[in-house]
Amino acid sequence: MSDDGIKDRVTATIMEVLKVAADEVGDDRRIKEDLGSDSLDAVTLVMALEDEFGGSIDDADAKGLATVGDVVRYIHRRVAEKSLA
Amino acid sequence: MSRRRVVVTGLGMISPLGTTAPECWSALLGGRAAVATTPDSWRRYAEPTSTVWAPLPPIDWAARGIGRIEQMQLDPCGMLAITAAAEALDDAGLAAEPADPRKHTFRLPHAPAERCGVFMGTGVGGISSFFGNVANHLLAPLRPGTDSRPAGADHEPLPPMPARFSPYAVPAMMPNAVSALLGIRWSLGGPNLTFAQACAAGTVAVGHAFRSVASGAVDVALCGGAEYLGDPYGGMFRGFDVARTLAAAGDDPRRANRPFDRDRTGFLFAEGGAAVLVCEEADAARRRGARAYAEVVGYAENFDGYSIMAMAPSGDRIAAMVAAAIGDAGCTADDVSYLNAHGTGTAVNDEIESAVIERLFGRRPLVAATKSLTGHCIGAGGGIEAAVTALSLFHQTTHACHNLEHPIRDLRFAREPGPCTIDTALTQSFAFGGHNAAVVMRRVG
Repeated sequence: MSDDGIKDRVTATIMEVLKVAADEVGDDRRIKEDLGSDSLDAVTLVMALEDEFGGSIDDADAKGLATVGDVVRYIHRRVAEKSLA
Repeated sequence: MSRRRVVVTGLGMISPLGTTAPECWSALLGGRAAVATTPDSWRRYAEPTSTVWAPLPPIDWAARGIGRIEQMQLDPCGMLAITAAAEALDDAGLAAEPADPRKHTFRLPHAPAERCGVFMGTGVGGISSFFGNVANHLLAPLRPGTDSRPAGADHEPLPPMPARFSPYAVPAMMPNAVSALLGIRWSLGGPNLTFAQACAAGTVAVGHAFRSVASGAVDVALCGGAEYLGDPYGGMFRGFDVARTLAAAGDDPRRANRPFDRDRTGFLFAEGGAAVLVCEEADAARRRGARAYAEVVGYAENFDGYSIMAMAPSGDRIAAMVAAAIGDAGCTADDVSYLNAHGTGTAVNDEIESAVIERLFGRRPLVAATKSLTGHCIGAGGGIEAAVTALSLFHQTTHACHNLEHPIRDLRFAREPGPCTIDTALTQSFAFGGHNAAVVMRRVG
């Protein structure tokens, strides 16, 4: 899997959950403040990422993901560790 | 205030027979009953008496407007309700326009939101999701430091367990989600009620919708029922099985489901289903050129006050309720030409119900048992049977009582599908708990 493939899947999942447009999901965008995610959206995003990539994401890990870039880097690392599909 | 007239202008249905109202109706007329062997995995926990059920056909939720995210958030019961409601509104010509794309909600441009109500029945709401979350809770590895059992005493969990305890566990489970989801989806601000009278819930919901439109409380009502009982562990099936209510597979499972037949052994457990009827004030419906399947003309309900699981043997309360429904419709028993029976296929229910029908109506009305083809959809059953009654009036056609070979009583059972003259029709339901209800409909035009 190429790096770009992971990034595209992560941003597509964020767009699907938060109903935001492609030009709103730049790396530095804050999921809560900029993309309007509330606490229920945040757990839904975790569920959707688990569904998209397989495996599970700890709540503690999820709490540390503030920006789109944080999510992309986190998923990238987990995939590299082969702890996600 | 005089009572306003109420017509059914739209229908949506999902059942073990099909994923749309036309599919279900076609299967009913074709006598294509639903029956299959229960999942092997359900027999890992217990040896049930019954091994047959009526599973739902595969449903492409995304194609019906429920995407991946909503599938994670909603119980199948809620998804069934939304899908049937979407079909019913479309069928009624009440085209919805988007309200809030982010929330995936719509609004009905034809009527003010506060004049539109939702009246839905369900037996157990989102219990399937709750089973899953409880399984996750009980069977997940214990937190470090909390396991005082000797090493090696732990065992691998058997059931397919959800990956996480869902943050949507409560809204997915709560029975009122069935009506709430429809009110949210279509921005309906009038009364929004979920009725939980078990196997009579759908009939009670249609009856209360009728009363609300007739009284002027609302102009449009979505009504019916939704149920989903196919939890991965077979827990709901076991609950009915241990109560000795279910049909035995016998030598030929296709013949297991046989309401009103001498050789009946119980009801065929259905995985689920949903039916939604759009009820509207008749003049407003006519003004917008809506097609009317039937007019709803009467409703009554009462309570046995006898047993939480068994019908009172005398049938007196049922007879009183049916008489009241006919009276509410302003007609007599002789006017009723079609009766959609509760017809579950259990020994006691069919005996009492057929005796009451004979006492009140004799051999006059055609008697149809929809559950002989769909299986028993519990809280959705009354909604499905109200929709089938409206379709029977509209098409002047009945489906047959499937597998009825040796009727237990000399009634005019529908033995073959086909054309018939129906002017006034009654659909009745009786529930665990003791709830009895009937809706009366009349042919339009």
